[in-house]
Amino acid sequence: MGLLSIIRKIKRKEKEMRILMVGLDNSGKTTIVLKINGEDTSVISPTLGFNIKTISYQKYTLNIWDVGGQRTIRSYWRNYFEQTDGLVWVVDSSDLRRLDDCKMELDNLLKEERLSGASLLVLANKQDIKGALTPTEIAKVLNLEVMDKSRHWKIVGCSAYTGEGLLEGFDWLVQDVASRIYMLD
Amino acid sequence: MEEEEGADPNLTTKTVGIDAGLQKKHQAMLDRLSNRHQARLDNSLARRSDSTISSESSSSFLSRFSHSKQSIDSQLAESRLIAQSDPSRLKSHFADVSSSISDLEKLVAESSYFLPSYEVRSSLKTISDLKQNLETLNSELTPKRKFSFKNKGTTKKEHPKEPEPAKPDTVSTSNFKIPDSPGFRNKSNETLVKKFEGTEVGEFTLSDLDSCEVRLIGCCNAVFMNRLKNCKVYLGPVTGSILIEDVEGCIFVLASHQIRIHLAKRCDFYLRVRSRPIIEDSNAVRFAPYCLDYEGIEMDLEKAGLSEETGNWENVDDFKWLRAVQSPNWCVLPENERVGKFLRAVPGLRALNNRHVCDALCYLA
Repeated sequence: MGLLSIIRKIKRKEKEMRILMVGLDNSGKTTIVLKINGEDTSVISPTLGFNIKTISYQKYTLNIWDVGGQRTIRSYWRNYFEQTDGLVWVVDSSDLRRLDDCKMELDNLLKEERLSGASLLVLANKQDIKGALTPTEIAKVLNLEVMDKSRHWKIVGCSAYTGEGLLEGFDWLVQDVASRIYMLD
Repeated sequence: MEEEEGADPNLTTKTVGIDAGLQKKHQAMLDRLSNRHQARLDNSLARRSDSTISSESSSSFLSRFSHSKQSIDSQLAESRLIAQSDPSRLKSHFADVSSSISDLEKLVAESSYFLPSYEVRSSLKTISDLKQNLETLNSELTPKRKFSFKNKGTTKKEHPKEPEPAKPDTVSTSNFKIPDSPGFRNKSNETLVKKFEGTEVGEFTLSDLDSCEVRLIGCCNAVFMNRLKNCKVYLGPVTGSILIEDVEGCIFVLASHQIRIHLAKRCDFYLRVRSRPIIEDSNAVRFAPYCLDYEGIEMDLEKAGLSEETGNWENVDDFKWLRAVQSPNWCVLPENERVGKFLRAVPGLRALNNRHVCDALCYLA
């Protein structure tokens, strides 16, 4: 029995999932992670590098990798692709100017072979800000429906500030990943 | 083996029965081995002859290479025409070009083992030049699309929400109406004042301003700044984040939970931040503590959770300088060069009338 299959077995037993959070800078990735973990979100510096949080969610253990989104460090995202079960793409719905950038980075990301099996949750964050685009609008801008056949995806509006929508999004993601990986249980 | 067999004849007689089967297996094994050996020989021969062919073909590689390079060049030249005649095709066109560049790259990679290293290097250089060209063309020809979507949206009011199936390749942002966010855009030599009151707080945008003075009084959620030149920007507290991109020769007085500064040149920042401010692709930027003053600012700061000085204004992270030593791109603004208080005694909108008084105050203080 190879080491890999041993690790897989252990992983299956513990019901772990690896979740990768990415998105442009200033989209609120770290705030979202801290918020669902019930931590203080009032002082968060832009992420220089990455954070890992292990969270018990329902009957699963989520390993959430929150990777910094500044342009300089986006090229390091690929170091975190391996073994990703669920992908969370966070969008600042109030940053209309950079939606093009956002689409481009997402398109690049989804071309990645190592992520081809991962379920995609798009969080249209900052819905609390007046003037933010709705999730439906964001879905159109990002042209998400082209993935209908190739990937499990969902877009959810949320506010990391108020916490609204976060659980709905993660519920879907965890269920979706679970139905793929842990089908046998 | 033979010796052992001789020493124990009983054993040999016993094994005779099995021997026939073994013999067969043995023969089959020998056959297989010799087959494999032959195959290996053939293979290596083929490889050798292959390499002799390929060394001859280094010239044929060069001709193939230059041929496809020419076609890519002409494709690139074509893209300008396309941009004028049919901009919607531009994106797919660029995708084509980039795929032919990557084909070329593949060709080089495949041929790299027989090519002289000089050829490999020079063809890689050519490829990277081509990529560069594509990149510049792309950024040169596409920004129009980038910033036109708001206007386009308003002209296409009939079907604001339905992306036109005819051009699936263009960025779909252009296909529906995005509400214009509030903000100041495309101004020069003006004093721009906005007072946020009550519940109508949201995001605010400052973009394409030249030699302007901007005053945002009161709290808002988020501020985006983009392409400012020689401006003075005075902001009341921002409860969310501030994103600054592409600014030059400006003075900023800002208070916020998060501040991100990209592409800033020769700017002074007077900040109060809950977290560490960051800079990226910036240089000659200087930092000092927040010092804005207008009637009611204490209350606004309190409301935004920014009434305490955190000292973070000098804890700047430079994403282009990931080392322990101080980044050369920013420094603390020397105290004798700092301006004492901005906008003292300027209650909101009356600032307009008091403009000259205020400027005098700012720079004498």
